Amino acid sequence: MTGAPQKIRMYNPNSIMHRKKVLSSAARIVLVSILLILVLMPFYVAILYAFKPVNEVTANRLMFTQNPTLSNFKSVIFQNKFFLTGYRNSIINTIPTVLLLMAITSMSAWVLARNNGPVYNLLYLILSLGLLIPFQCFELPLFINWRNLGMDSTNIGFIIARSGLQISISLVAVTGFVKTVPRELEQAANIDGCNRFQTFWKVVFPLMTPINVTQLVLNSLFIWNDYSTSVILLRKAESKSLTLAQIQYFNGKTTELNPAFAFFIMSMIPILTLYLICQKQIISGITAGAVKG
Amino acid sequence: MTKVVNPRRPMRYSTKHHLGNALFLLPTIALFVFVVLIPFFQGIPYSFLRWKDLINEPTPYFSADNTLMEKVVLSLKSYNYLFTTKPFLTSLGVTFNFTGLYLLFSNLLGFSLALLIKKSSRFNNFSRTAFFLPFTTSVTAGAIIWAYLYSDIYGPLMGVVSPLYTDNTTVLAMAVMASWRDMGYCMLIYIAALQTISLDYYEAATVEGANRWQQFVHITIPMIVPAFTTNITLILAWGLRTFDLPMVVSQNRAAGQTAAFYIYDQIFQNRGASVGQAAAIILTLILIVLTQIITRVLRRLEVEA
Repeated sequence: MTGAPQKIRMYNPNSIMHRKKVLSSAARIVLVSILLILVLMPFYVAILYAFKPVNEVTANRLMFTQNPTLSNFKSVIFQNKFFLTGYRNSIINTIPTVLLLMAITSMSAWVLARNNGPVYNLLYLILSLGLLIPFQCFELPLFINWRNLGMDSTNIGFIIARSGLQISISLVAVTGFVKTVPRELEQAANIDGCNRFQTFWKVVFPLMTPINVTQLVLNSLFIWNDYSTSVILLRKAESKSLTLAQIQYFNGKTTELNPAFAFFIMSMIPILTLYLICQKQIISGITAGAVKG
Repeated sequence: MTKVVNPRRPMRYSTKHHLGNALFLLPTIALFVFVVLIPFFQGIPYSFLRWKDLINEPTPYFSADNTLMEKVVLSLKSYNYLFTTKPFLTSLGVTFNFTGLYLLFSNLLGFSLALLIKKSSRFNNFSRTAFFLPFTTSVTAGAIIWAYLYSDIYGPLMGVVSPLYTDNTTVLAMAVMASWRDMGYCMLIYIAALQTISLDYYEAATVEGANRWQQFVHITIPMIVPAFTTNITLILAWGLRTFDLPMVVSQNRAAGQTAAFYIYDQIFQNRGASVGQAAAIILTLILIVLTQIITRVLRRLEVEA
């Protein structure tokens, strides 16, 4: 039992150990701050340029401008005809997709987590296969099928395709979570005479809120920022999403840099707000799913 | 065979129970079959066909007489073409280089950050939020900002041209961009793993006289092998299918063309749908085989630890 006296000595403010500790934690804070500056640099540059008048682009590259202006934002909103359409499409594409995913993956995750048997295990295996197959394998067949069904370049077509492609990832995470939820409450509900739909929606679904919020935010992030599916399925100008509309700024013209950054900032607002509101849940959700594998 | 009865299960399930289950599963299965399973199997024969232009041909593809698809069924021409001409092999090389650097940077940075800010404090929690922030941006937006940072800020500061547009540094520049975005994700997974290690191990090791480096090598590393498995397989899968980055930053330059971009280019811009589809199938096989190998190797380490 030598542990306790040693501990007391370690936290003695006059000891060398303690001084070492303070020094190392100060060094750590300095190091982390430097890394923070490096990582946040691109955001700083984006904000800097979004508020800079166009004629000041090359003057003091890293300094904040003396005459901040909103003209870059105005020019994106009023002159870029893809901005508002893109915004509308991105919203219409993202919200139904994440809600649909939440409803269907939570229902099936419950069944797959609570039932053991060869059929259920095989189903789970097949449904999680989507994790292994890269999207490139679906590009051509999806494009052909969607075009033949008249669903290419439509919001509904994108919603169906994108939620189908996202199912495996969500399902694996949600099923992992449901396995950790005790089933006593469900059994109690059952005894009280709830049928399965009532049990699910009134008892199980509320218990799944933490993982559902995480999935909602993560899926919103993936779908709002989606590029590979959009570029295949949203080919007509009026169906383009924000990420597709943004590409036009990548042409190396310095004259369009300021509006490009204004565009970037405005397109990030919804997802950033969602992230900052729900960050605790995202962090715990990512890590909970990950550690359990 | 003896029947194992789980006392927590109410009783054996009735047919009605399974029917109810089927109803709950139905929407997921339907969507999965329609969007993933059917197109996947449909795509395999496409790679064995000879195919004319897909996008610019004015008539629809599956017209009644199928005239637009020359049905040279079971021709291996596409596969033969992929392995006898340079572009696909070059793009595979680029993909592997990129994935290797991306794996190294994002894990190294993610792990170092996790070690630095693993303890919960107000400053550390703020740092976590900030380090994860790049992950919320789209690859396209991130690419635009980084391209500008390279060409107009890093370039003049160091007196060099943008590494993004110099052939032998393009892959490196792309890997930096991708790791900037995804290291926060790796970091969170490492932090969670570090937090699960019981402090008792370290206390016991201190009592035994192990120094901090020994503790790190013999306790910390073995205990978080599962997190390495997660992060390495995840980044490997993301890296091998990287498409947005080359699409934005290096459209028609071989130095930055990944396999995923080559596939898109063949199918949608180059009138080579079956070649693109064949390349997609090869990429899928590579991804599955590599993921399996790496998972097996890392799982074995987990057992030994």
